[in-house]
Amino acid sequence: MAREFQRGHKARISDLTPGTDLYVGVRIDAPGLTFDISCFGLDAAERLSDDRYFVFFNQPKSPEESIQLLGAQAGDTESFRVTLDRVPDHIHRLSFTAAIDGAGQMSGTGSGYLRIVAGGEEVARYAFDGSEFSTERAVMLGDFYRKDGWRFAAVGQGFDGGLEALLKNFGGEVAEEEPAAAAPPAFAPPAFAPPAAPAPPAAPSSAAPPSPPAPAPAAGTPPFGAPVPAPAPAPQLHSAPTLAAPLAPPAAPYGDPPQPGAPGHPGQPPHPGAPAPHGQQPSGHGQTPPPGYGQPPGYGQPPGYGQPPAGAPQGYGQPPAPGQTPPHGRPPGYGGQPAPYGQQPPAAAAPAGGPGLAAALQKYRETPTGQRWTPQNQQLMRVDLAMGGTPVLARQGSMVMYQGKVDFGYKGAGFTGRIVGNATGQEMQLMRCTGRGQVFLAEDGAHLHPIELQGDGICVSAENVLAFDESLHHEVRRIEGHGIPGGALFTMQFQGSGTVVVKTRGTPVVLPVTPTTFADANAVVAWSSASQVILSSQVRLRRNAYPGHSGETVNLQFRGAPGNFIVVQPYEV
Amino acid sequence: MNQQLAGYAPTPVTARMENHGRAMLKVAMAAGQDLYARTGSMVAYEGFVQYEPNPPAVRQIAAQWVTGEGMPLMRCSGDGLLYLADYGADVVVLHLDNDALSVNGSNVLAFDAHLQWGVERVKGLAKFSGQGLWNVTLSGTGWVALTSLGTPVVVDCGRGEDETYVDPDALVAWSPALKVKGKRSFTASSLIGRGSGEAYQMAFSGQGIVVVQPSEDSTDRLRVRG
Repeated sequence: MAREFQRGHKARISDLTPGTDLYVGVRIDAPGLTFDISCFGLDAAERLSDDRYFVFFNQPKSPEESIQLLGAQAGDTESFRVTLDRVPDHIHRLSFTAAIDGAGQMSGTGSGYLRIVAGGEEVARYAFDGSEFSTERAVMLGDFYRKDGWRFAAVGQGFDGGLEALLKNFGGEVAEEEPAAAAPPAFAPPAFAPPAAPAPPAAPSSAAPPSPPAPAPAAGTPPFGAPVPAPAPAPQLHSAPTLAAPLAPPAAPYGDPPQPGAPGHPGQPPHPGAPAPHGQQPSGHGQTPPPGYGQPPGYGQPPGYGQPPAGAPQGYGQPPAPGQTPPHGRPPGYGGQPAPYGQQPPAAAAPAGGPGLAAALQKYRETPTGQRWTPQNQQLMRVDLAMGGTPVLARQGSMVMYQGKVDFGYKGAGFTGRIVGNATGQEMQLMRCTGRGQVFLAEDGAHLHPIELQGDGICVSAENVLAFDESLHHEVRRIEGHGIPGGALFTMQFQGSGTVVVKTRGTPVVLPVTPTTFADANAVVAWSSASQVILSSQVRLRRNAYPGHSGETVNLQFRGAPGNFIVVQPYEV
Repeated sequence: MNQQLAGYAPTPVTARMENHGRAMLKVAMAAGQDLYARTGSMVAYEGFVQYEPNPPAVRQIAAQWVTGEGMPLMRCSGDGLLYLADYGADVVVLHLDNDALSVNGSNVLAFDAHLQWGVERVKGLAKFSGQGLWNVTLSGTGWVALTSLGTPVVVDCGRGEDETYVDPDALVAWSPALKVKGKRSFTASSLIGRGSGEAYQMAFSGQGIVVVQPSEDSTDRLRVRG
């Protein structure tokens, strides 16, 4: 079973899998957006000192082929093969990033994940969704890095600027500097020059535990300012993410999350809490030069950026990355400010708006796909009755909304159906949706799974059926047995061609049927109808000695040829 | 331990209202910017935040709510970080930019006090749905947080030529510009106990959006807690 990662989680690769030949898949569901998903091989100072280790669509492998871009496959938008033991010693970190190609922002994305597969088995998955982001145009998804062997960190840090900002962050250069226009540059790739010198501040700022919470207002000259123009902004940009920093530094005042790994907030790349890097910039300056991004002279004239006036809170001059329109003066965070709250100028809040109503709701938009059954999200299913023409049978009361001309009629469940209702005390009452239009179905926020049958069969526990095409042949079966509440377990067997929508509480598990597959009768959701169900009661003397025990006595055992499966939910009805 | 939990540390504040995870709302409170929040929805706060249940302003605006139990909204003021949640329901943060939105009463989590707001009784049949008898109309410029049981879906009404019909139990919010009417789909057979289970809907027509949650929770989640 894959280990689920949250943003900021880290783990040793060796704890996940003994192998070093890994497949890394990235999937991002974002209707209308396209992504450049790439891998940066960084040196110890987190610079892209060798541009041959920037693996992306134009450079699909590193010189010794330890990192290869494989393209979209197996449900992943982009995938890589990484052979960790062949990665050369000077590469200390592999950072997987996604940048929006064209217009759009990360909040417009649906769900996505980065997963690691080893030996044909998924060993780790970091899932994210658009709600964690706002106006970013790129995101660092996860890193492999060396620290007593390779480790993996789920980063999930957004960047406002898109791919070119990422490149700059890592010390690369885009061949042609596009002017401030927000449009993504045509981006002629492999031409970036290695940075003149690995900017010294970068390494310390990232590896060192945070220094004092108040940013040292280091006088107007950034210590590193002169020599290395390009990487200048980098230190703040990646001060936060995923460092190998040993353990949580002592908890500082809030706004200063104890872990550097938990950092970047969407839309605010630099981490106000990790003050060290900010110390290098002149206090109070908005430091926001979108065009010349990263050129020290840009300091001090923040054009139009609604940041609080100079002299107010120092410590975060967060650069809104290029491409971000700054009408909203970001209310100063609490970051690293010993004097809390106060600095939020009341006036700032009204304009401190995010995107308007429409934009905020964008990610919840209806997603029409032109298919008959379309999951709108995990919990809502849309069926277009006009397509296919057959009516849909749905559990009574599961309609939350419809558009068009749809009639809802009573559907007698037949004799057996009524038995189901009577015996289980649960109304398995169906309604028949006919007409032309789109019906949205959901029930109690349960997760919905459309299962498309093409001539094969599936048995679904009656409580877990939400809806199905009337074209499917269905019959109610009962599994009788002593000990099953209600005397029998009712299942519906579906056969033919069409779709069944099954609902589960929580994320289900799909198990292959083996000689020893058992499931709790209350938790089993569905199984392929070719497998045979046997009731197995475990009678134990000790258990029966206690009256009124409620142990797990009745299990269903499944038998079947390989290829059969059962679905179990994490919830016992 | 620290390392595993560190992923849940609050992120730096970037806006007045933000999601912390799916189900928690983080509000950056500041003096002079009060907030109305559902009574009992506070789960944590840092700083100096004061709560005033039964604020007079609410009493005036929402005279109709008064059922003798008190108000479902409290006024929060002060400086600090306020965390709100409502039984694990998904939180949707919106910024109204001179917009207006009508929200089902039981789906309001919090909103800026400077917004114009009013309470309306739900007209028509929908009031029998058990989902609450009132809705809140918000307009102006400011922040609003809604709750939704499950991930909501937003549908454009103007798309089809037909009206959009919504189960009132699942309705979260809609544009006030839409025309609303009740629609009953009683048929003779449904009156004798064999209905389709969908006895009445609210029909929306016009240009605007409707937000719907994937759940038809009809228990009265409005009840004042604590």
